[in-house]
Amino acid sequence: MKGVRRFGSILCGLLVWQIIAAKINDTSLIVSPWVVVAKGYEMLFQTAELYPHLYASSWIFFYGFLLAIILGVPLGFIMALSPLVRDYVNPWMTMLYTTPRIAFAPVILLWFGISGGSKVAIVFLGCIFPILINSYYGMRAVNREFVELARSFRLSRWALFFKILLPASVPFILAGVRLSIGRGLTGVAIAEWFGATEGLGYMIFFAGQTLNIPTLFVGVATFALLGILAFEIIRKIEDYAVPWRKRLQAE
Amino acid sequence: MIKSFIDSSAGGQKLVIKKEVSRGLYSVLGGLLLWEILTRLFLENELLIPPPSSVLRMLWKLGSSGALNEHFLTTLLEFAYGFTFACAFGVILGYFMGMYSWVDEVLDPWIATLYSVPVIAFVPLIIIWFGIGMFSKIVVVFKLTTVAIALNTAAGIKAIEPAWLEVAKSLRLTPWQTTYKIRMPATLPYIITGMRLGVGRALLGVVVAELMAANAGLGYLLRDASETWDSPKLFVTVVLLALLGLVSFMLIKKAEQRLAPWRETAEW
Repeated sequence: MKGVRRFGSILCGLLVWQIIAAKINDTSLIVSPWVVVAKGYEMLFQTAELYPHLYASSWIFFYGFLLAIILGVPLGFIMALSPLVRDYVNPWMTMLYTTPRIAFAPVILLWFGISGGSKVAIVFLGCIFPILINSYYGMRAVNREFVELARSFRLSRWALFFKILLPASVPFILAGVRLSIGRGLTGVAIAEWFGATEGLGYMIFFAGQTLNIPTLFVGVATFALLGILAFEIIRKIEDYAVPWRKRLQAE
Repeated sequence: MIKSFIDSSAGGQKLVIKKEVSRGLYSVLGGLLLWEILTRLFLENELLIPPPSSVLRMLWKLGSSGALNEHFLTTLLEFAYGFTFACAFGVILGYFMGMYSWVDEVLDPWIATLYSVPVIAFVPLIIIWFGIGMFSKIVVVFKLTTVAIALNTAAGIKAIEPAWLEVAKSLRLTPWQTTYKIRMPATLPYIITGMRLGVGRALLGVVVAELMAANAGLGYLLRDASETWDSPKLFVTVVLLALLGLVSFMLIKKAEQRLAPWRETAEW
């Protein structure tokens, strides 16, 4: 029943879209879904012009994302373990986090120039906060009893960290990673809009300025697919790394 | 004895908070001072990083000439309109999604798709459809915020304690009363959480839309400053946006703490 409704909803939505497109009948405003699908097919299998954009965007995303994990997780841990560091870093972090990220894009561009570096920096800035914050909460939320148990076994500091604190905070970190996917993809789009010559973001904005609606829709759809794909990959990693989570949900 | 214990613990609590705040203040002041000194000592050109003092001077200059007010107000209005409409529509949508599972199932594939597309990918399309004026920005804010609020409202409606509904039944409340007296208050904290999530997205959306095509607003100012290589002006805009983000975030956080004091609210 559920599947039927979903399928019906998608079908109806596409039909409505088709009808609206036929009514408006202006290809510089909206095109029917079939035109978008045809354009996507063409860009994937005939002209193959989608691949360079996809490739460029993927690498920027990957580097920025990886850098955010590498720096964000330890920083979150340090802030959780040392109140001193937390108090000093907190105001700056809150400011960076609550400011709309796009405001930093021109500044970063001013510093790093129109290079891959500035794009990665923009993605990095988008990704790091959910990861950092979740690592912080993960470390803070470790069950007291686990720590007491470790004490009574006289675990060394390192063993305490690697055997108790780190594994206990992995679920939180992964949740943060999952949250930052969307923000990272937004970062890619922002970064490629400033002075890029390739990439999905560039494709979308260029298509928008030349009123090339089919290409614009293909770009948006590709972004959506990338987001869903990355999300599912992290889900799989979560299932593998935190098997007890799934069991809890099932119960 | 108990009273004195409570008092001393309360005092201790206060002391800790004070320490946190003072450390934060030291950090901010020290950072600004360091920034000022370093930029004055090592940079001959203000292009890369202007010192805080010249940013302040620029802020004063732009503010007193009245040029800033217009941009700031435009952004604020676009944000406020879009956000208000999004709250109203999102809560209603979320209510029906939470109450009737078929609404949820019908809407789910579309909402999931909309949610996984980077927020700003839609901006060019919305500008093509609604023009470069204020209206297109309101639409952008509306689109970005509604989903977050609707999803959270639906979650809140679904999470209502069944016992409360039974109480409503045994008190013979009408459906309208049940909604108004039980479901709505119980869902309020969830709605606020949705609003907190939405605020950041909404601000980002406004600025992106203004950067892309506008004739007023902070995003427009940002673009103007970066295209004319006017660094102090650029930094003034960044500071104003930071302030806007910070204030709206703090307000929502306060509201969240008041409406749902039993829930541990996030620090950020």
